[in-house]
Amino acid sequence: MSDNKTPVGSKGDGTFFKALIIDDSVFVVKQLSQILQSEKFEILGSANDGIEGFEKYKELHPNVDIVTLDITMPKMDGISTLEKIIEFDKNAKIIMISALGKEDLVKKALISGAKNYIVKPLDRDKVLSRIETVLKK
Amino acid sequence: MRVEYINPFVESSVSVIRETLGVEVKREQITLKSKAVPILDVAVIVGLVGQVEGRVLFDMKRETALKIASNMNGEKISEFDELAKATITELGNMITGRAVTKLSEMGYKFDVTPPAVFSGQNMEISDSEIEALIVPIETPMGRIEINVALREK
Repeated sequence: MSDNKTPVGSKGDGTFFKALIIDDSVFVVKQLSQILQSEKFEILGSANDGIEGFEKYKELHPNVDIVTLDITMPKMDGISTLEKIIEFDKNAKIIMISALGKEDLVKKALISGAKNYIVKPLDRDKVLSRIETVLKK
Repeated sequence: MRVEYINPFVESSVSVIRETLGVEVKREQITLKSKAVPILDVAVIVGLVGQVEGRVLFDMKRETALKIASNMNGEKISEFDELAKATITELGNMITGRAVTKLSEMGYKFDVTPPAVFSGQNMEISDSEIEALIVPIETPMGRIEINVALREK
């Protein structure tokens, strides 16, 4: 991303998109936060499992513009968390984060209402372009 | 154990480490062990269940794990804390993911457990029914051993 370009996190009216990160890996939370913050996204919060993630979403609703949701997590996995969030807010914009080799679960997530997915390892440009696509829809 | 199971893990380890850490790596000679195998200070283990079953373990010295975690986070990490554990687990995740995709493309159907990381000293692992193949990979951060014990069900 060049310095002259409008940051991906900009809504274009002087405000910025707000993100919620749900992932059990502190490494991935840190990586995603850094990528998003570098493009001016505001990180509203993060959660390390599905139960906490769903609670955070409800608490922060309707301020969350985008959710990144890990597929494999303890307590409540990404698919169940996705279903709960969509049941609560059918307009939720959720991007699944998946390890390679989980294609079946990714398909299931897309059918259940996820807007897109990103396969790890997380590449900065790939993360930003997928999120941008979802936010523009 | 058939060598076609181990190759995807070795190839993906080499490519993931090279791409993620930006370092050159060198693959050493494979050894075959049928009894208890010593494992280094920090290990990530992944289980496979299905047409191919068993486990894959990536182990390294604590010093190597800290250097890798520091590299991947872009900051100096000197304690094997939560962030270091999550980082090493993520490396295991990436390697396994790529290997599993290759094995699936070869036609094998199986599930993989999420990687678990453990650490300690003077550890060893025994696989009662499956012999283990060990492939050491040399990196500028130290040696990583890929220890694979898999069989076709």
